[in-house]
Amino acid sequence: MSAHNRGTELDLSWISKIQVNHPAVLRRAEQIQARRTVKKEWQAAWLLKAVTFIDLTTLSGDDTSSNIQRLCYKAKYPIREDLLKALNMHDKGITTAAVCVYPARVCDAVKALKAAGCNIPVASAGQTHLKTRLEEIRLAVEDGATEIDVVINRSLVLTGQWEALYDEIRQFRKACGEAHLKTILATGELGTLTNVYKASMIAMMAGSDFIKTSTGKETVNATFPVAIVMLRAIRDFFWKTGNKIGFKPAGGIRSAKDSLAWLSLVKEELGDEWLKPELFRIGASTLLSDIERQIYHHVTGRYAAYHDLPMS
Amino acid sequence: MAATRAGPRAREIFTSLEYGPVPESHACALAWLDTQDRCLGHYVNGKWLKPEHRNSVPCQDPITGENLASCLQAQAEDVAAAVEAARMAFKGWSAHPGVVRAQHLTRLAEVIQKHQRLLWTLESLVTGRAVREVRDGDVQLAQQLLHYHAIQASTQEEALAGWEPMGVIGLILPPTFSFLEMMWRICPALAVGCTVVALVPPASPAPLLLAQLAGELGPFPGILNVLSGPASLVPILASQPGIRKVAFCGAPEEGRALRRSLAGECAELGLALGTESLLLLTDTADVDSAVEGVVDAAWSDRGPGGLRLLIQESVWDEAMRRLQERMGRLRSGRGLDGAVDMGARGAAACDLVQRFVREAQSQGAQAGDVPSERPFYPPTLVSNLPPASPCAQVEVPWPVVVASPFRTAKEALLVANGTPRGGSASVWSERLGQALELGYGLQVGTVWINAHGLRDPSVPTGGCKESGCSWHGGPDGLYEYLRPSGTPARLSCLSKNLNYDTFGLAVPSTLPAGPEIGPSPAPPYGLFVGGRFQAPGARSSRPIRDSSGNLHGYVAEGGAKDIRGAVEAAHQAFPGWAGQSPGARAALLWALAAALERRKSTLASRLERQGAELKAAEAEVELSARRLRAWGARVQAQGHTLQVAGLRGPVLRLREPLGVLAVVCPDEWPLLAFVSLLAPALAYGNTVVMVPSAACPLLALEVCQDMATVFPAGLANVVTGDRDHLTRCLALHQDVQAMWYFGSAQGSQFVEWASAGNLKPVWASRGCPRAWDQEAEGAGPELGLRVARTKALWLPMGD
Repeated sequence: MSAHNRGTELDLSWISKIQVNHPAVLRRAEQIQARRTVKKEWQAAWLLKAVTFIDLTTLSGDDTSSNIQRLCYKAKYPIREDLLKALNMHDKGITTAAVCVYPARVCDAVKALKAAGCNIPVASAGQTHLKTRLEEIRLAVEDGATEIDVVINRSLVLTGQWEALYDEIRQFRKACGEAHLKTILATGELGTLTNVYKASMIAMMAGSDFIKTSTGKETVNATFPVAIVMLRAIRDFFWKTGNKIGFKPAGGIRSAKDSLAWLSLVKEELGDEWLKPELFRIGASTLLSDIERQIYHHVTGRYAAYHDLPMS
Repeated sequence: MAATRAGPRAREIFTSLEYGPVPESHACALAWLDTQDRCLGHYVNGKWLKPEHRNSVPCQDPITGENLASCLQAQAEDVAAAVEAARMAFKGWSAHPGVVRAQHLTRLAEVIQKHQRLLWTLESLVTGRAVREVRDGDVQLAQQLLHYHAIQASTQEEALAGWEPMGVIGLILPPTFSFLEMMWRICPALAVGCTVVALVPPASPAPLLLAQLAGELGPFPGILNVLSGPASLVPILASQPGIRKVAFCGAPEEGRALRRSLAGECAELGLALGTESLLLLTDTADVDSAVEGVVDAAWSDRGPGGLRLLIQESVWDEAMRRLQERMGRLRSGRGLDGAVDMGARGAAACDLVQRFVREAQSQGAQAGDVPSERPFYPPTLVSNLPPASPCAQVEVPWPVVVASPFRTAKEALLVANGTPRGGSASVWSERLGQALELGYGLQVGTVWINAHGLRDPSVPTGGCKESGCSWHGGPDGLYEYLRPSGTPARLSCLSKNLNYDTFGLAVPSTLPAGPEIGPSPAPPYGLFVGGRFQAPGARSSRPIRDSSGNLHGYVAEGGAKDIRGAVEAAHQAFPGWAGQSPGARAALLWALAAALERRKSTLASRLERQGAELKAAEAEVELSARRLRAWGARVQAQGHTLQVAGLRGPVLRLREPLGVLAVVCPDEWPLLAFVSLLAPALAYGNTVVMVPSAACPLLALEVCQDMATVFPAGLANVVTGDRDHLTRCLALHQDVQAMWYFGSAQGSQFVEWASAGNLKPVWASRGCPRAWDQEAEGAGPELGLRVARTKALWLPMGD
């Protein structure tokens, strides 16, 4: 893991003049999906790369240690061994980037991952009163979580209380200690793309290591227009401070084809330096099995049956 | 587990994450070429025409240089055959009700839909353009165009009553073009009942394929004929007697030459010239989105030409940094690859841009290295080009973007309007008021606010100034191929021995013709310029005789200097007048109408002296006053809003004044014709320089006495004198934006020839008299159409 983003002083002049043009961003989002594709070997290699970006997620009310255990195993062995061998990729140590669970399940996950003999970090998510959230973060870190996904208070954005937002994320940062902070902006609830840009910038100034589109539980999840705005904010922050901040879209990314589009989006807007697990994650639960199916098809030339691939 | 298909490269790609080739199979394009035995002829009258003993030109893949087919070059007799076929087809096609034509166009759209893969692979293979742009853009738009125009055809009898199709249209396309350029023009032409002969440059098979698809639909084989041939055939096609209108798109200089050579010929001429576009980036813009606008305009194979980019100084550094960052990520490559931004455009385009960039560098601009690698040319950004250098004046070629700074919005308008071109532009600003001010102020045909290069069949697209004033799409596109019903067919008035150098050059000297006799008060004397009567520069006068040959009075003898002064005065008055609301303009026209009625007895007695019956004379005065009122009322209902599929927000179709309009009035109807021409011109916000009836200019001067009191100075300027001489001065004046000429055939020919200078739109009567007292000819919709120009203003909606 790279070093933490230490953040900067709050500088409101970085966001005061920004205006994002919604229709223009929508057009760009449409274009970017039509202008870049990869086929054949390139597709297989890109898909395997996409696997290494996945934060394999389960955020259900009925999570128990058994399905967390299964999830962790899948995170360690995301693609069937023989398929990787056929691609000559079995020695690349392909695993998902992380496992993402609720704070209460962090213990289970850490145990399961230790049993599986690997050190994939664990993350958690919260959405309550600030005090509770801070406490939740501390507990999760104590339980062994190394990355913390935490959602901001949207009302601060909608009412333009940027200083308060900055302070809130600063406190998250402190509570995380050594763990990485991924700030969830819940972009579906921010109203405008201009707010998305401003919230992204504040989150980065306050010291987030990643900015994340959504919890995956809102009605509007990761969309291309929102992603374009966040990526541009990341680039602007990099140009201003030299700090590279990570990006994590989450929710609604289900198909292998989607994941390829996300990879090319990041490649186009930020460049190849961002295409590594330290700076790019995809929060998803069902995406992995679709990627595995596509790899199966690439290797064998046949479409897989449900029982051909292990469940997660 | 089945045999493994994976290759060895996955490991490398996993690390580098590079893009790979995404080839689109062009097997069906090759198979289609095979059906022609790899030899393409012409498609005429529903059949392939492959005459013997013709030169042929190879059609090559622009990237590999592989020979795909050979294309026969047409000769004059092939042109004649095609025009004859179109003329025969016109009889049947135009006689059918619009509904039948609508069905046929719809069927053509369906056929295109069924064979779209063939169309897009063929087009991309031969032109080298990115297949994504052809597949997702052009082919879809081609179908939308057919559907839109089918609807227009089906309602033609009601919506376009009073208009009839012109006849056979000759369409001339430039060497590098998309088949879509042809669709934009043939769809409205076919919809209203015209038939088409298209002359495409050699080695462009997509139009031939389209013609074949249309021809094989059945009952109307000859409506679309496509010939491929060299540029030397252009004048031959244009001067075919069967051709009623020539629609030309191409380079400005070629358009100018064609304008000169078609002076006095039978065919009308519609020009669409040049490819450059403009982008205005203000400091309130979303800069990242504006950079995408630059990509859309110049670096995505969507627009045909280069881009002039004006950036407000305060965001210059930011915008340039983002542009260079974005440029670095664009991919050039084979057009048939699904993941490239820019394809190749052949050696000629590369040579052109290389020359431009080298010259710009030698004149002090920064442009990076000039690549020598062919056939691709990378996106190029030119900056620091001194504004006065020659390269800053010429058209920017594809794929160059010339960036220059501006300080204020006002300065931006001055710079942007300071070119002879007037095609399209986009304005990037998040402040609505500023965006609208710039959008209204730009002298171009299309303005996009916070977008670039959007297109839709229902929105008229065209230009002004030297970009030519022909239109396609929307209602304006239909009128390009229509003429008022019942008007006599336009005939050739070509006089081979007309000497353009001497026409109207010298003024015959005039001598005193005896004392003025007559009962009326002495007529006003002088040139009416800048709101008052002035003495002519030549300080001489010409006698005007009445119907019985007696001297009626003297009028001033105007000359070149007086025309110059009049045009200047009109320009000074123009901004104020154009800025008035239509209501305010109407009020002044009504005031003039009232003044005319007060002066009725004087006017009637002057008309009587010119041989009119008293009753008829009074009727002429009354009708003149009515015309003023009618145009005042009509102008308030101009312009409208269009709704476009896929765009949230409106497109405004504005009707803007042309500028300074020169009008040479006919000899007949000395009062009515003068007022009938003056009224619409002023109502739509133009200012005018008028040459009144040569036989009896005194009536116009009487009206001037009222205009002096009613109008602000300079709105209408009236110059009397030798008609040919004044016509010459006006037609050759570069700062007159449009000219109407009602007079002799020779004069008309001269005006058409001379208009090539600044490509001003002209309307010349060619010696045909008009019934000015009839509503259709004296105040019909044709005048309303010619008196203003359209501008489409796109206003996408969204936060």
